[in-house]
Amino acid sequence: MRLAFWLYEGTALHGISRVTNSMKGVHTVYHAPQGDDYITATYSMLERTPDFPGLSISVVRGRDLAQGVSRLPSTLQQVDHHYHPDLTVIAPSCSTALLQEDLHQLTAHSGLPPEKTLVYALNPFRVSENEAADGLLTELVKRYAAPQEKTALPSVNLLGFTSLGFHLRANLTSLRRMLQTLGVTVNVVAPWGAGIEDLKKLPAAWLNIAPYREIGLTAAEYLAETFAMPAIYQAPIGVEPTLAWLRSVIEKLNITGAERGVPPLTLPKLSAFSLDGLSAPSGVPWFARTADMESFSNKRAFVFGDATHTVAIVKFLRDELGMKIIGAGTYMERHAEWVRKELEGYLPGPLVVTDRFQDVAKIIDDEMPDLVCGTQMERHSCRKLDVPCMVICPPTHIENHLLGYYPFFGFDGSDVIADRVYLSCKLGLEKHLIDFFGDAGLEYEENGASLSPEVEPVSANGHVSSAVDVDVEQEALADDGEMKWTDDAETMLKKVPFFVRKKVRKNTDNFARSIGEAIVTVEVFRKAKESLGG
Amino acid sequence: MMQVSGDVQIIKEDNVTHSFCGLACVGWMYQKIKDSFFLILGTHTCAHFLQNALGMMIFAKPRFGIALMEEGDLSKNEPTLEEIIREIKADHNPSVIFLLSSCTPEVMKVDFKGLAHHLSTPDVPVLFVPASGLVYNFTQAEDSVLHALVPFCPVAPAGQKSVVFLGSVNDATADDLRAEAEELGIHVAGFLPESRFDKMPAIGPDTVLAPIQPYLSRVAVKLERERGARVLHSLFPFGPDGSRAFWEDLAREFGITVDLRDREKAAWEKIRNQTALLQGKKVFLTADTMMELPLARFLKSAGADVVECSSAYINKKFHARELEALQGVRVVEQPNFHRQLEDVKRIQPDLIITSLMTANPFAGHGFVVKWSMEFMLMPIHSWSGVIPLANLFVSPLHRRSNLPAFDKEVWLEGAMPSAE
Repeated sequence: MRLAFWLYEGTALHGISRVTNSMKGVHTVYHAPQGDDYITATYSMLERTPDFPGLSISVVRGRDLAQGVSRLPSTLQQVDHHYHPDLTVIAPSCSTALLQEDLHQLTAHSGLPPEKTLVYALNPFRVSENEAADGLLTELVKRYAAPQEKTALPSVNLLGFTSLGFHLRANLTSLRRMLQTLGVTVNVVAPWGAGIEDLKKLPAAWLNIAPYREIGLTAAEYLAETFAMPAIYQAPIGVEPTLAWLRSVIEKLNITGAERGVPPLTLPKLSAFSLDGLSAPSGVPWFARTADMESFSNKRAFVFGDATHTVAIVKFLRDELGMKIIGAGTYMERHAEWVRKELEGYLPGPLVVTDRFQDVAKIIDDEMPDLVCGTQMERHSCRKLDVPCMVICPPTHIENHLLGYYPFFGFDGSDVIADRVYLSCKLGLEKHLIDFFGDAGLEYEENGASLSPEVEPVSANGHVSSAVDVDVEQEALADDGEMKWTDDAETMLKKVPFFVRKKVRKNTDNFARSIGEAIVTVEVFRKAKESLGG
Repeated sequence: MMQVSGDVQIIKEDNVTHSFCGLACVGWMYQKIKDSFFLILGTHTCAHFLQNALGMMIFAKPRFGIALMEEGDLSKNEPTLEEIIREIKADHNPSVIFLLSSCTPEVMKVDFKGLAHHLSTPDVPVLFVPASGLVYNFTQAEDSVLHALVPFCPVAPAGQKSVVFLGSVNDATADDLRAEAEELGIHVAGFLPESRFDKMPAIGPDTVLAPIQPYLSRVAVKLERERGARVLHSLFPFGPDGSRAFWEDLAREFGITVDLRDREKAAWEKIRNQTALLQGKKVFLTADTMMELPLARFLKSAGADVVECSSAYINKKFHARELEALQGVRVVEQPNFHRQLEDVKRIQPDLIITSLMTANPFAGHGFVVKWSMEFMLMPIHSWSGVIPLANLFVSPLHRRSNLPAFDKEVWLEGAMPSAE
């Protein structure tokens, strides 16, 4: 038992519904107490679904338990009657899993033909969101994928694209654009937008593309084993990885092509991948060489997230933007070994593996990086510390569910990520000016509110949630635990540029503590400046 | 006191619906009672619910948290919370800790009363609050919180007659209600809950309890029984009609006769434009926060055609006056959402009041919607709440009429993953 406030990964039920909400003609029925379908709100609000997510609850009441009745059979009948799904997935919640009911038998009592139902009873105390989603997708692929003729021309399946995935639609568009440029057809995307019929024809493709470590990989491995389908598991994030990915797609497809007597694919002129078909496919390689970006060489970045994005972003920041990586971590303990291996030689210390946001916040607080790439929780931890942060993976912020085209995949994605890094980090040349001349006329009011300018609504609920949040923000601002400063020292601190003032105050506090001072005087402040290098 | 009206027709269905469990109340209760901590004995699901559905982001030191039950905890007879309680006390120094139950420990038959008793100390009581989705819906756990607070309300000796308002509202609304009562010559003993644990109001045989939220029937009954307090049975103070009935009936409890007809008329006059728009509009309430009965009654009084008023729980005695005012309206308890969906398609309401989970999908089907939860977070009580209340209903109607024509076939293409 531990005291928890916030968790990175969702529940197994969440993972299950992410898969079924992605799919055509598939419905999930939660066998669960009132409220366990709360997750519907994340689809209808974050993803703004204009139709009802295929998700119903068969409510278990305390009274039903006492009387030994179950509504499950009748709920299943209702769902079948109202929505006519091709398949209904039945899943228990954490509490009903303890009841050890025979869900198969209850499902059979509904009278629905067995081919229209799937009881997916995981142990919700052991399995979390991503594992459940990956597992259910694999289960469905096993159930439906059928041996068949390959398509006449080169084709691929895109696996692991799942409702509420990170910048999912844009990533799909980016991949589709690249594949189209290569002259490769997309056979099936799953689970996003796939129906049962689509799952059946998965083996018709020449190649599986499963870029996410978390979801889709196991299904691709199954298809490789059972149908001898080749697969590509790399995520095309960054310019060089995208080029490698394209070459790999061509190479793998050409092997099948050669067997089938289809003329080989070749990599077209790279401008063919650009949006206008006339220019470099990405601005990143040149951008990284500009004098402006020179100032990024000394910027210290910390990355924390799921497995796929943590690996990709560390590599992108160091290899393509030339930034300094001071550390990285993941909350995906299941994939930590893979992340460690991928990032060998990239990290100055061990990979951080934790599901406690407080651990991550503490690292950020201690290190005060120039850039943090993380989840929405790191974004919030960073706002408190006035550290620049960009969100690179789930759990996402409403800002990751925008309308425009902001992929992370492919050449287009490289530009998007580089733009976000550039916008998130503090300025380049202007920074020197401000450092040298003080406030440069940009001085803000000295109080918490202006130093953390955005007090904003969060998460799923737009302005409803903002009403709930206000107090929490205020508590955060009241909580610093700083040392006492004399008025003179405060005046002196005001001469430090406003956006590094917090950092300077903190470093000075630490310095004062380390030399046993209880109050920061002008003298202590000067000493600190000397010993810390300004 | 009003007699229970026996002839109100309530249709009861099977509760296959979309709404939140009782833990939702943490969202507003921890903010209302400033020196409290809300500890949920629960699972990953409870934590994920609070952070997602309620959008509650955690910063430095939130005053609520989950004692997270993991697999290893399932085999233990009784959860050991001492360490967690110590941590909470060290970090937050609360005056009271509310221990909320959730589904998993209830299935495990954890003895919450015993547990809370065992963890209590004279300076920091730990109070059991039943809140699990096995029994309680959305707002109902506020009733459980207030229930737990009863022993900490001093006993008011017989003598001075005074009112205690029942239900948590923000401070500005509380000030309004207090001022209004005092103006009528009614002595105000306070609110249950007040915003500090040590300031809970005294309640005794000469206390009149005036419920200002429609989901607090259990604590009302308990106080009636244990303290001999009288519970006001009136309309809830929403809208000109509700406000007038509420204050006139409350005054009557104090032997004061007031005629608020003019005040009500003036209030209707103030929202003439809004009621003109609501006139004859078909409104459907799908059941979510349990504020549905008084909201529907206001809509009916405003001239709207309430085609269905569904609510998770209806207490025939506690809601008697509202039910009476809703004569002729289709009232459903524990509705079935699938049936509602078909009825909505058939009836084609002009406005649907519905949950966070179902609002956008209804909008996608072409309907005008309003989040039911918004009514809980807006100052809609009494006279000062009349305009905000009316505006909440008309703003989506206005908004829709100001937007350009919308061809679903064009603008929703590819928007639904399962329809890609």
